[in-house]
Amino acid sequence: MDQKVLKGLRILDFTWVLAGPYATRILGDFGAEVIKIQSKKTAKGAESNLTGYFNHWNRNKRSITLDMNYPEAREIFLKLIKISDVVIENFSPRVMSNWGLDYERLKGVRSDLIMVSVSTMGQDGTWKDYVAYGPTLHALSGLTYLTSYNKDSPMGLGYAYADFISGLYAAFATLSALEYREKTGQSQYIDLSEYEAICTLLGPTFLDISQNHKQVLPYGNRSNYLSAAPYGCYKCLGTDRWCVIAVFNGEEWQSLCHILGHPDWTKDEKFSTLSKRQENAEELDGLLTHWTIQHPPEEVVDLLQEAGISAGVVQSAEDLARDPQLLARDFFIQLEHPTIGRTISDRSPIRFADDLTVGWKAGPVLGEDNRYVFIELLGLTEGEFSSLIEKGVIG
Amino acid sequence: MKGFLEGIQILDLTDEKASFCSKLLADLGARVIKIEIPGGDPSRRIGPFWGDCPNPEKSLFFYYHNTNKMGITLNLEHEEGKGIFLRLVKKADIVIETFSPGHLKRIDLGFDVLSRENPKLILVSVTGFGQNGPRSQYKSCDIVASAFGGQMYVNGSSSSPPLKAFGEQSYYTASLFAAIGILLALRKRTQSGKGEHIDISLQESVVSTLDHVMIRYFYEKVVPKRQGSLYWNNSFCILPCKDGHILFTPFQQWETLVEWMDNQGMAEDLKDEKYLEEEYRLQHVDHIIEVLKRWTKNHSTDELFEKGQLMRFSWAPVNSPEEVSHNPQLKARGFFIDVEHPELCRSIYYPGAPYKINRASIDRWERAPLIGEDNLQVYQKELGISQEELKRLASLNVI
Repeated sequence: MDQKVLKGLRILDFTWVLAGPYATRILGDFGAEVIKIQSKKTAKGAESNLTGYFNHWNRNKRSITLDMNYPEAREIFLKLIKISDVVIENFSPRVMSNWGLDYERLKGVRSDLIMVSVSTMGQDGTWKDYVAYGPTLHALSGLTYLTSYNKDSPMGLGYAYADFISGLYAAFATLSALEYREKTGQSQYIDLSEYEAICTLLGPTFLDISQNHKQVLPYGNRSNYLSAAPYGCYKCLGTDRWCVIAVFNGEEWQSLCHILGHPDWTKDEKFSTLSKRQENAEELDGLLTHWTIQHPPEEVVDLLQEAGISAGVVQSAEDLARDPQLLARDFFIQLEHPTIGRTISDRSPIRFADDLTVGWKAGPVLGEDNRYVFIELLGLTEGEFSSLIEKGVIG
Repeated sequence: MKGFLEGIQILDLTDEKASFCSKLLADLGARVIKIEIPGGDPSRRIGPFWGDCPNPEKSLFFYYHNTNKMGITLNLEHEEGKGIFLRLVKKADIVIETFSPGHLKRIDLGFDVLSRENPKLILVSVTGFGQNGPRSQYKSCDIVASAFGGQMYVNGSSSSPPLKAFGEQSYYTASLFAAIGILLALRKRTQSGKGEHIDISLQESVVSTLDHVMIRYFYEKVVPKRQGSLYWNNSFCILPCKDGHILFTPFQQWETLVEWMDNQGMAEDLKDEKYLEEEYRLQHVDHIIEVLKRWTKNHSTDELFEKGQLMRFSWAPVNSPEEVSHNPQLKARGFFIDVEHPELCRSIYYPGAPYKINRASIDRWERAPLIGEDNLQVYQKELGISQEELKRLASLNVI
């Protein structure tokens, strides 16, 4: 039996950088035919085909080139819409309509089309043309403010988390709309705001503010809401080696004291209840660090986990590449790229009992699938094809 | 419009690790029955609480993650509870669970048992490390997933401990992957007629969403480290303003930026031609940031944000969540929605869905269920269990 879940599904991928490409990567991983529209003029930076970044986020996709400034390119785009199930784009809101390619027009060409527009602020509202990347969105959402040691020196995340969240939401919405189309035959237009996407991940905090009329402040790794103590990140033996420990109840606290060789602490008034341990967290953290700093994090974590305590090693990229758990689950895979050579990528974390992901293919070379798409799928003649290349329409 | 997922039946056995997954599906119209242990799910004990007063019926944390769901109580460890559960499984499309690997098997409700009952059933398991591997039995929570997943190592300042992203981000990421997995499995089921067991690991969900971190390691052998608010490729930093902080781009549209500063007599030596070279700027990033700081400190965040955006700078104020809840763009889009809480005699302001569908917002929002709120509906009306029988089951602590 053919294992490709999304076999026969054609996605027109008009996305760039990360949020959009991540959405189409997920669909491509499971067998959808993803046709990425590029052009020589725009294949730069994150969209330059021969970079590791591009290769990583655009595996299992096809690439064609179209210079949308030509009316002929827009005509070809409409022909492609006719033979596609889904179009996903993440331009700023006016781009598609400036080309005369808004949803209403596309739906006129393909009556059951699913169109997904991913944009920073959504398609409407006074801020719709604002420019934002992942870090901008983190800052706007409150995530940067809250991911800090204190309110006076905001830190935030060291990578573009918001792009992944938007990409995941876009893939989820696409598949949901397709599920509905199976039953009703209906076309849909989805207008996804990346700003809103990241705001959905701070839900309980927004409820807290609106109901309890209080300020929610950043406290580093201390949780505002979680009932756990000790709880946090502790220094271990070695350069920049750390572990995390989370003790949720009395039983775990007792086990921890035994491992530390201080069963007497369980009798200490200052630490006798969870709320007292939270009150005296600083002192407790000091005592705990005194122990963790003498051991490598792996040793600390193994000991604690054996005793039923939640604990983790703070892993770097290098640690992850050698992580026995990830390796046991074949998390990393190899991609053979015709120019870059053999590279390493990650498997989809969506695991079925039988591997349902496709045979892995590296990111496409610019315009790699021009012949296949323009001649085989759209039926252009050789003559038409070469004249469009000559004119720069396909280019 | 009806939700996209209208007609899909989900049994939700999740705790806080994946209650967001079934929420995503419920918000799009799936019928989700949350099955809690008698007395209520432990995630009802997680704050914040309404009125700041800990109470399993007043957890705002639980409220948010369980909108649009029904709720019943059932003891799966009791023989009779299992029987009832299997009757529900017969009519369900999906079961989502977050027990440690092997737990369902130990109580005789493993995937093989469930699929015997209903061969089309899709089971989704969300756990700390996945169903197999040397760490599969390790305990996890968000901070453990963030640590083992490589997120913490790249957040925070180099002179301080690694910093976990605020909230329960690994649960959300894993929930999104799980929800996508469910839709893939539904599609596959229409071809094969068979259900699936989907295995989602919190750790893998975090590693998968690290952007540059693994790429730079695999392609350049660089081990990315935390460097405060200065972004890994120096494209962003956070600078102080008169009234707060701004997320700033020190290198974007360099000449425009310097001209703007110079018009206010604050460009200092940045006007010097040698700074026109990107390479030179990268070598002197610390100095540049010092000069920029003196300039931003003279302005308010709003001033820089509004004017900067007009000039296509991707800057933004570092908002506190209070500021976000009054944001004009989110308001204009109708992002926050009012959810009625009749039991509290009021409505509560929630973040809604991040998309509009056919230019309209989702308008069906039901608050999270109270403990066992739908017991009668599900047990009596749908399974036909009599009132006396329900009383007996309640006395045995089955429901």
